[in-house]
Amino acid sequence: MSAGMRPPARRNGVSRVTSAPACLLALLAAHATAAASLVITVRTSDSKPLQGAVVTATPLDGATRPSAPVKAVSDQVNRAFQPDLLVIPSGSTVVFPNTDKVSHQIYSFSAAKRFQLPLYHGTPYPPVHFDQPGVVTLGCNIHDEMVGYLVVTDAPYYGRTDAHGSWSSEVARGRYRVTIWHPRMRDNDTDLTREVTVGESDHADWTLRLVKALQVAPLSDRPHSWDY
Amino acid sequence: MARRPANGSLSRRAARLLPLVGLALSAIAHADGWELSLDGRAVSSNADPSYTQGGISGVRYDEDQSGIRLGRARFALTESIGELWSVHLDASAWGDHDRIPFGLTEAYVQFRPYPFAGYRLRVKAGAFYPPISLENRDSGWESPYSLSYSAIDSWLAIEVRTVGVEAQLDWLGTRQGHDFDVGVTAGAFGWNEGAGGFIAGDGFTLTDRQTPLGGRVGLPDDPVLMNFEPFRELDGHAGVYGGLEARWLDRVVVRALRYDNRADPAAMDYASGAIAWETTFTAAGARYEGSDGVTAIVQSLRGDTTIAPGGYWLDWPFKAQYALLAKSFGRHTLSVRYDHFEVDSSASAGGDGAETGHAWTAAYVFTRDAHWRFTLEWLHVSSNSYEREDAFNLAPFASETQVQLAVRYALGSALD
Repeated sequence: MSAGMRPPARRNGVSRVTSAPACLLALLAAHATAAASLVITVRTSDSKPLQGAVVTATPLDGATRPSAPVKAVSDQVNRAFQPDLLVIPSGSTVVFPNTDKVSHQIYSFSAAKRFQLPLYHGTPYPPVHFDQPGVVTLGCNIHDEMVGYLVVTDAPYYGRTDAHGSWSSEVARGRYRVTIWHPRMRDNDTDLTREVTVGESDHADWTLRLVKALQVAPLSDRPHSWDY
Repeated sequence: MARRPANGSLSRRAARLLPLVGLALSAIAHADGWELSLDGRAVSSNADPSYTQGGISGVRYDEDQSGIRLGRARFALTESIGELWSVHLDASAWGDHDRIPFGLTEAYVQFRPYPFAGYRLRVKAGAFYPPISLENRDSGWESPYSLSYSAIDSWLAIEVRTVGVEAQLDWLGTRQGHDFDVGVTAGAFGWNEGAGGFIAGDGFTLTDRQTPLGGRVGLPDDPVLMNFEPFRELDGHAGVYGGLEARWLDRVVVRALRYDNRADPAAMDYASGAIAWETTFTAAGARYEGSDGVTAIVQSLRGDTTIAPGGYWLDWPFKAQYALLAKSFGRHTLSVRYDHFEVDSSASAGGDGAETGHAWTAAYVFTRDAHWRFTLEWLHVSSNSYEREDAFNLAPFASETQVQLAVRYALGSALD
């Protein structure tokens, strides 16, 4: 399964209500907190839509219930992580199956998760558990050119921007802390986080235009090194 | 001087390799990784005989070797020992007169712990190339841009190898949100007191032949090189080198390395006549790769080699540099390289070994898939050499052109 998919919007517990008076109360309550669209758009410093940026939205009002953990897959294909970036809720597990013919030695020294995992061809390995939020940078101890990212989040709403640079989700009305991240962004963290209020309107949006140019994209099709 | 007869036919030479191929196949069955490749050449050359034929020239193949040649037969093996150690063996045959028909060009053990707290350590022990070349990045220390190596890398291929230990420590900034990595390298080695002898004798040449460990350079009747052994220890002094490397993302690599084999220039093995060459050099270079398929490399080498047999000091300062520009279009790569090189002996050796020259290399490489590679290369070397006239009775100035069409077929555990 893809952990990059955004979870379904929460339904405020309506399905648990059974009695008629309670239904009436629930309808009134639902009107007050009815879902609206939260739309986040990211543009580069030269105003082009940025695809693949990670968006997380955390409610600031009331208790936050993080998304349920998922079982995600990060494969190793042709000496690259596939996908090169995964967003997963805290508590999720990730399997590294390695469908390459060569062995890999996956590692991370990121604060959110430090681990080392040898992946010999044809040998299955147990999944790795990620229980702390943060960005985990993945590398291979044998193939230096391999880089991948796991974004572990406590936010109940998360996803990645599409080809138009947009991500949207149906959310309850209220205030949210929205954070945007991409491995090639250089803007200050404070500029990538904003409080967004989903008020009376049926949608709220934030369009972020980056101040700094993106870091250049990694090369593809470069010669494979043989330890030189 | 009289030309040597051209080498035996390709098929006869290949037949001699069959037992080794059998041995290789049995090793494959147990190895983690292996590669086997055969590189055949159609050669047209107007050059004088090279050092492998007992002569002196700026290219690998001479006029009499025009025709079908074995470029290289190679077998390489990687075997893990536990999780963090591995053994690497790289053996090749070059289809010429070396006393080792199928020899190891590199053989080492590597210790590769996982990066820790942003730092990565690599330790190698055995025989391997010091981290200088920016073009020879393919397996087998080959260039993806051309057949013939630059003058600098050709010299390393002929007579420079670390036979010892090397440690490299990198700070991996790119894995921590920065745009660059930096690294330091230190090496200590022995058995390389022949390094320098080729430069002082033949000068620079452009070849892709790598002297195997234990191999010799030049033929027994060579008036200059005298069939010397580059990988030899004579005085018991360990050589050292130290290097720096910086990388900007995956686009730019900058390297510098200071090398000193710390040989005693007066050391000599009287039985064989072998002399210790005290050689120091600084090699520095940079490689840029763009997203448009462009690769640009510049590299320079400046050094000095000294001998003092019987207390008589002789000294050869040398320098070489090249610039390479390559452009890839999918599976096609075009490259052009300009080399300039110079050996100066005027101060002490009275002109012996002096040489100046330059070379143009143009190559087209078509990589059909992981197995097949086709290369067409044109190489032109112009050089003025004191030894060419003094030792070989040839005109001092030579303008040599070698055209090669190479077909390489490779098999390997990691090749799809």
